[in-house]
Amino acid sequence: MSATTIVAPARPFAWLPTSNWTIKLIGGLVLATLWQVLVGAFLPAYVAKPLGIIAAIPTVVTNPLFLSAAWATLSAVVRGLAVAIVLGTFVGLALGRVKLVERAFGFYVSGLYAMPMVAVLPLVTLWFGYTGAARMATIIFAAFFSIAINVADGAKSVPPEHLEVARSYRAGWREIWFGVTLPAAMPYLLAGIRLAAGRALIAAIVAEFFISIEGLGFFILFNSRTFHHNEAFVAVLLLALFGVGVEAAMTWATRRFLPWYRREAKTD
Amino acid sequence: MSSGAATIRRAAVTDPTHRTESASQSRIRTVGAGKRYGDFQVFRDVDLEVGAREVVALVGPSGCGKTTLLRCIDGLLPISDGEILIEGARVTEPRAGVAMVFQHFGLFPWKTVFDNVAYGLRLAGAAKADIAEKVPHFINMVGLKGFEKVYPYQMSGGMQQRCGLARALAVEPKVLLMDEPFAAVDAQTREILQLELLSIWEMRPTTMLFVTHSIEEAVLMGDRVVVLKGRPSTVHEVIEVDLPHPRTRETLTLPRFAELREIVWNTLKDEARQAEFELEKGR
Ligand SMILES: Nc1ncnc2c1ncn2[C@@H]1O[C@H](COP(=O)(O)OP(=O)(O)OP(=O)(O)O)[C@@H](O)[C@H]1O
Ligand SMILES: [Mg+2]
Repeated sequence: MSATTIVAPARPFAWLPTSNWTIKLIGGLVLATLWQVLVGAFLPAYVAKPLGIIAAIPTVVTNPLFLSAAWATLSAVVRGLAVAIVLGTFVGLALGRVKLVERAFGFYVSGLYAMPMVAVLPLVTLWFGYTGAARMATIIFAAFFSIAINVADGAKSVPPEHLEVARSYRAGWREIWFGVTLPAAMPYLLAGIRLAAGRALIAAIVAEFFISIEGLGFFILFNSRTFHHNEAFVAVLLLALFGVGVEAAMTWATRRFLPWYRREAKTD
Repeated sequence: MSSGAATIRRAAVTDPTHRTESASQSRIRTVGAGKRYGDFQVFRDVDLEVGAREVVALVGPSGCGKTTLLRCIDGLLPISDGEILIEGARVTEPRAGVAMVFQHFGLFPWKTVFDNVAYGLRLAGAAKADIAEKVPHFINMVGLKGFEKVYPYQMSGGMQQRCGLARALAVEPKVLLMDEPFAAVDAQTREILQLELLSIWEMRPTTMLFVTHSIEEAVLMGDRVVVLKGRPSTVHEVIEVDLPHPRTRETLTLPRFAELREIVWNTLKDEARQAEFELEKGR
């Protein structure tokens, strides 16, 4: 060996494991312990605590009421998202590609995007009644605009070179829209879906609070009011899990279907 | 403004097969073509003819409208005055049989090499079997065999340009418009690509209009070198390149090559001075 051995400077906490997951797990344990101790010391016994939640998980996830509530909410969110993605993509492409559409409707789409969907909920119940349809409408309303706006942004920022090449090979409008603009706007669409999924979830829960129909929102509300906080929290965990799942799915989709995207962005 | 009448210098043509063909035979013909952006006149009175088996190199200072002219010939831009004819038909929109190689490559980043090369064929409605046969053929021709499934971001500039070339060749165009196709690659790759393009052209000679900033490239590739200059620009000189075919690396060593290079260089040097002078005057 050479004489100049490089000695790493002493790092604080150098003894800690460096694996990402281990650190995350330790962080989680620290938070959970704090929660358990503080709530146990200062708050009434029915307030949710980590150990109580863990104990409640087996009974809750086998409870048919919980399962049908979870199915009702999550399937509504998924269906609503699907509708919003299809509609939002078309409207976004039209906004981004047709000047007249942008000039006529762009203002309103941005305005509605900025408006909290909770505000329209009472109106929605007037139109659809206190039903699943009202929840579905709220979900679509909440999700649609983030998708339309993102796709429109993507469609507007298609590099002119791509359009020039397409035109040079005699592309028709369908090829320009779906063969060039949509793939170029794909990263924007995925970003829109990320946003929309979060908003759709909020919309579903708030709608259930307000309309009192079967679903995770109502399950949480009911259990909280009857002092079953641990049970309510299991439902909250499931919602968080769904959010994380969507996030992971989008990351995976970006890697799998848009391998070109990150590299392109890096070279800029 | 630019000096008066254009001086046309014509060197003796030794190879009659590459002589400029008569007007009726010319594939590309521009008659008094002019292009304006609002009040800004880019070029005017451009009369140009390119024969069926002819390569014309187009040179001129930056910003003189070479790309604009090529876009007009491809049908991507309407001209303001005069007319542009391809095989006698007026160009109003992009035509089948005319392909352009873009200075910016213009590859779709979400498509693999195969799908990029297949693009023109697919849009032309070629049969699946046809695509499966032709695309690999042209990928091989430009030396990208084995890279079919690779995305543009995984390739060097030279490879991307080869891919863009294959895409244009794949539609087997009658007219090939090339906008500084090798400007973005290093000198060595550039020379390799030039020689490869020449050998591809010898295999299947077509009409080629070739824009370049490199004088050597213009003389090596062109049967004629057309100099565009002035403000607004117009065709100022046409220099016949009487070098024998096929053009190879040997061509670069011929004394005549050096002479022609000097001739083109001198015309462009004047233009560079003129531009500088006008800039001074403008202050
Ligand atoms: N869309 C446009 N609107 C207005 N002016 C334009 C437009 N496109 C090009 N021009 C102008 O036309 C002139 C010619 O541009 P062009 O790109 O054809 O030049 P070029 O000869 O290809 O230059 P280079 O050698 O640098 O590529 C330039 O002065 C440019 O500013
Ligand atoms: Mg140019």
